[in-house]
Parts: sequence; C-alpha cells; structure tokens
Amino acid sequence: MVLVSARDARAFETIYDRHENAAFSLAYRMCGRRAMAEEVVQEAFLSLWRSGARYDRARGSVRSWLLGVVHHRAIDVLRAGVVREARDVSDDKMVERLEAPERTEVEVARRDEASQVRGVLGELPSEQRHVIELAYFGGFTQTEIAEMLALPIGTVKGRMRLGLTKMRIALGDPADVVA
Amino acid sequence: MSACDPMSDPRDCGADAAGYVLGALEGVDLQRFRRHVAECVVCRDEVATLQTVADALAMTVPQLRAPGAVKRHTLARIREASSKAATSDRARWLHWNVRRPAFASSPSFPTRRMLTAAALLAVVATAAGAVELAPRSTTEIRAVSAAVIDQGQLARAVLHLDSGHAELVVSHMPAAPSGRIYQVWLQHPGEAPKPTSALFGVTSNGAGAVDVPGSLTGVSVVLVTPEPLGGSQVPTHAPVILAALPS
Repeated sequence: MVLVSARDARAFETIYDRHENAAFSLAYRMCGRRAMAEEVVQEAFLSLWRSGARYDRARGSVRSWLLGVVHHRAIDVLRAGVVREARDVSDDKMVERLEAPERTEVEVARRDEASQVRGVLGELPSEQRHVIELAYFGGFTQTEIAEMLALPIGTVKGRMRLGLTKMRIALGDPADVVA
Repeated sequence: MSACDPMSDPRDCGADAAGYVLGALEGVDLQRFRRHVAECVVCRDEVATLQTVADALAMTVPQLRAPGAVKRHTLARIREASSKAATSDRARWLHWNVRRPAFASSPSFPTRRMLTAAALLAVVATAAGAVELAPRSTTEIRAVSAAVIDQGQLARAVLHLDSGHAELVVSHMPAAPSGRIYQVWLQHPGEAPKPTSALFGVTSNGAGAVDVPGSLTGVSVVLVTPEPLGGSQVPTHAPVILAALPS
C-alpha cells in the first residue's frame, strides 16, 4: 500500500488482482446488475489509486478498507435510484461464480472465515437479520426500512444494534476474521 | 470530549451507531450523528466495535469472478488520468497558490467572509479555464487545482471530478487548529456557501482525501474551512482551500 500511495502502477495491479473478485462480488450483491457492479468496482479502485494515502493500517486490512469503499460507492448508486427499480431483473446468468481451486492457505482461511460469518448471521433471529441485510446489502436507510416494514424506527434501530452486537460476541474479534 | 450522561441526555446514546456502520443513515440524521460521535466517547467506542462486524458482512457474499473487462477499463482510466496529470504538471496548470488578501486575516473576517470569498472567487475563476484537463465526459477524470491559502508553500489541493463523483485530495496540508476539523462547503453563484457533511483531517505528513457529497451541478466553488468538531452550518473561519469549477 505504501507503493500504491506513491502511485506505483505495478503495486496497484497486484492489489487489484488480489481483491478484484471480492470487490465485484460485494458490488454485484448490492446492485444486482453486472454493468452497475462493474462501474462501482472501477470507481472504488480509482479511489484507491487517487487516495491510497488515506488507508490506515491500524484500522484494518486493505481488503476490508477497500470493501468499505465499494460499499459506500454502491450505496451512492442505489440511493441515486438508478438500480432499485430494476434489481429484481437480475442478470445473474451473465456472471461467473468463482469455483477456482483454493490455491493458498490465505484463500482457504478466507473461505472458512466467510463461512463462519455467514453462519453467525444465519443464526440471528430473522427479524434482526432482515433489517441488517436491508441496510447493508440493500442500501436502505433505517427510515426507509421502518416504512417498508411498518415498524417504529426505534424498533428498527434496536434490531440492528442487537443483531450486530450478537454477531460481535459470537465472532469474538471480527477484525481478525477479515484480516 | 465527553460521554453521554443518561441523566442529562434523554437520547438513547448509541442507538444510531448500528445504522451508521451499516450505512443506513443519511442527510440530517447522518450529520447529526457525526456531530454527536465527535463529542461522545461512548458512541465512538460503539461505532468502533460494530464497524468490525459490518466489515465482516462484506465477506459473506457469494464469491464471483470479476469480468476481465473491469480490470482493463480501470487500468485504462488510471493510465489516462496519470498521463493527463503529467501533462498538466509540465504545463504548470496543477498546483498553484494564490495569496489571501490581507483583510481576510482580520479578526472580523467572519462578518466579511462573503466579500473575501467573492474576491478570491474572482481570482480563482480567472484560472478556471486553465485547470480543466479534459472535455466533459462520463468516463474521463478531470482534476481541478485548488487555491490553498496561507497553509505553507508546499500545501496542495486537487479536486478530482469523475463520473458525477468529486473527491478532494490534499497534500502537505497542516492539521486543522486544535479543536477544529476541515469542512467542505459548496457555493453557487451569488449565494452563501452551503455546508456539506464532508469533514476531514490530515495525516501526520499532511495527506488527506474526502469525498464531496451531493451534486455539483450549478456549483461554482468548493471551499474548505476549519470548523469546530462536528462541523458548522455557516462558516466560522476564512476559507483555506478554494476550488473554482469550470462552468
């Protein structure tokens, strides 16, 4: 990342290769459309190129930082209203599920850790899991979620908070999981 | 810095922390929470704790193979941006400074800030034509040099405009004065600067970057002022960065 901050193109490409699939996967999960996900990923990596100096190692891995950028970019797209209406029409057949063999210990560990987080999320009461997924993956605000589910906004806030807190307890320190 | 006191603060402190880390706050709610969290150690701790969980959620999605075209397009855009920046450097279009008029440093500046901004705007606008690096396009990046005012000879600021997004990148910028944070403002012609939720600091070597929220349509100047933590609704300090947008 030091080299990326210094605008080293080769270092940037290495970072790109290492994280492109995770970035695209998150963007596609949120946007539901391939073209939009591609645009989000491009924007996120361009942001990395322009402002790599903003990355602070003490606050997490490059991967989680980059995925945070992807998440914010995707939310911008979703809130612009371009995608929400069309997200039901998924072009899922046009994307390729990653079935590559697990070549490195890091990749194996990542899959195991992702599976662990999925498991913990899946064990939450459905009403807590639902509001978390609507917010994080759907890009909906807590006000929108309250209207959508016909719930008081305080209930939505409470479910989000309780769900995340339970996950935090179950996972120990998730920062270790995603490093 | 303080913690929430349930006896004097009837709010459920921390209630918005989960929504914040999930990206579920926006607009006034987001600004209000950012101001609150800047002052509340309890909520800051809650955000830090829950943020790691939110980060982990990103890993739970089915893993897909990114289309090869994305990498080609991304690298092409970076080469294009780098090439233009290098050309611009040679032409000395990027990174220029203007001196703030002497009266702007007066203690009474806040009462005269609109006049000052207008004067600086005139100076910056004169150069605006020279800082547009490329024709408008949905795919091209434009870099607009910003005037950095009385922040040292090395301080630089560049506004990157890219497909509707704007990002302000600073380097060699001194830290905001104690108890203050840099805030981004958007100004339309003939109007007072409007606050944004974009607050930022700089690293120990003066580097920093912030996304400029909202639409820049009709905006003539992007300004930065040092404001109290949490930001302000009206500028309380003279601008330290001014970026004039080409009309």
